[in-house]
Amino acid sequence: MNEIPKTQKIVAILWPSFITAGIATILFFTAFDPNVVFVDYDISRVGAYSIGFFLFWIFGATTAVSTCFFLRPCDSFNQGKSNSSTGTAS
Amino acid sequence: MTDPQKKQTVNVQPIAADDVGQSLYEKRQKIYPREVHGIFAALRITGLFVLLGLYYFVPWMVWDGHQAVLFDLPARKFYILGMVFWPQDFFYLALLLIVAALALFFFTALAGRLWCGYACPQTVWTDAFLWIERWVEGSRPKQMKLDKQPMSFNKFRIKATKHLIWVVFSIFTGLTFVGYFSPMRELAVNFINFDLGPWEAFWIFFYGFATYGNAGWLREQVCTYMCPYARFQSAMIDNDTLIISYDEERGEPRGARKKSVNPKEANLGHCIDCTICVQVCPTGIDIRDGLQYQCIGCAACIDACDDVMDKMGYPKGLVRYTTENILRGHSTHIIRPRIILYAVILAVITFSSFFAILNRTPLAMDVIRDRNTLFRETNEGLIENVYTLKLINMDQANHEYSLSVSGLEGLNLKMDAVDIVVESGDVVELPVRVNIDPEMLQQRSSEISFHLDAIDAEELSVTEEARFLGPRR
Repeated sequence: MNEIPKTQKIVAILWPSFITAGIATILFFTAFDPNVVFVDYDISRVGAYSIGFFLFWIFGATTAVSTCFFLRPCDSFNQGKSNSSTGTAS
Repeated sequence: MTDPQKKQTVNVQPIAADDVGQSLYEKRQKIYPREVHGIFAALRITGLFVLLGLYYFVPWMVWDGHQAVLFDLPARKFYILGMVFWPQDFFYLALLLIVAALALFFFTALAGRLWCGYACPQTVWTDAFLWIERWVEGSRPKQMKLDKQPMSFNKFRIKATKHLIWVVFSIFTGLTFVGYFSPMRELAVNFINFDLGPWEAFWIFFYGFATYGNAGWLREQVCTYMCPYARFQSAMIDNDTLIISYDEERGEPRGARKKSVNPKEANLGHCIDCTICVQVCPTGIDIRDGLQYQCIGCAACIDACDDVMDKMGYPKGLVRYTTENILRGHSTHIIRPRIILYAVILAVITFSSFFAILNRTPLAMDVIRDRNTLFRETNEGLIENVYTLKLINMDQANHEYSLSVSGLEGLNLKMDAVDIVVESGDVVELPVRVNIDPEMLQQRSSEISFHLDAIDAEELSVTEEARFLGPRR
């Protein structure tokens, strides 16, 4: 019953987390100036924004992967099946 | 709301069936949209030139000695024409988003996915990439034939040329994108000299890669899988919304026939089942199956079908912008309360946003109370509070300011600074002390106001509230 295309699975993990990472980056760095927060580190503002964005993205994607993982039908574990329609993109 | 009965979502098998891309994308069959000419195609091309033209041109524009539109992230300043925005102006971004959301409601209720069909960056860049593809590989049948061929030198040469042009165009797109955040002219010079900063280089290639991937490879999959708008559009349209539809009443029963045959005598509708509407569709659906969520409203099928109707000598509009009500033989009101309401709210918020932005005071003051001590007593027996004022001059010119305080009778303002001068675009922290005779305090906590006025510009003035704390009464 593997009806969800692989592209859709990958997109479902990477895309919403990308959007939320963008929003989180804007909100976070509007409130906190990286030059003040990371004053002890030698990093440019653009560098801090970029790293911040990717950290947020990784967090979001991790959440999305976990959600997909926990959405797998319970029966598939009993029968040793790994291919389920709501499975992760693996 | 659309009638669920009418909204059939049929599992469409695109006619352009081919197994290209199968290894990368399960179940996805590559779509080869056929070239289309007509009034809506002309509109789309105009939109494409205007939008992409603006996108590539705007970073090169200069205004008053600086880049006209520059989101200077390192300096935390946004330049838009003659205005400079700061993180403190975040409010205006929120207003802008509200305007965008309302505009989407309005246009969707009016005529469905106008945004998707004509203005969405995904559509616009995909169209540009399709042009390049058509220019290099030839028309739709040629592209399909080429993809079916086994790899040969000639095929490799054609494919490599296409990808090379795509990559160059993508990198230029990425460079332009970064040019909105980092001064474009410097960036272009650095790019040519291979002298980019690491993050600039990274973002140019990241955005370039996203363009190449989305417009070159993913295409309609972005709309079907990534776009939330496609999924909730039905909540925004109703039976009076203009949507692209096939006139089933008139078209059925469909069937091939000679031009000389009178369809009435042959018991045929006006649809000659030429499938050209399917061949031109960039998302590979058959509009004759009804409204489908894959439809991006590009109206290519309207142009294509009108062309065929002309050739057959039938009236145009077998596929056209129409409403559910018309198709069902009811009367329709395109100007209806919903549209009027959206239009009024949209107009009010848009104008007030513009008004607010044009009249905003390019001066801000934050009042921060000293957190360590609530209050202290001076040698003279006065009650004193300490504040730090953060003054932000968002104007294009330097200014000198005067500071005063009000709210309680007998308040004295003390500070070490003699002149309060803030240069254009600067933030100055100003420690101040406010004291008062304890006899004048009515309660433990009173509200006071700081007033900051530019000495040389009357219109630049802000007032901020603060609390003045004293001993318990």
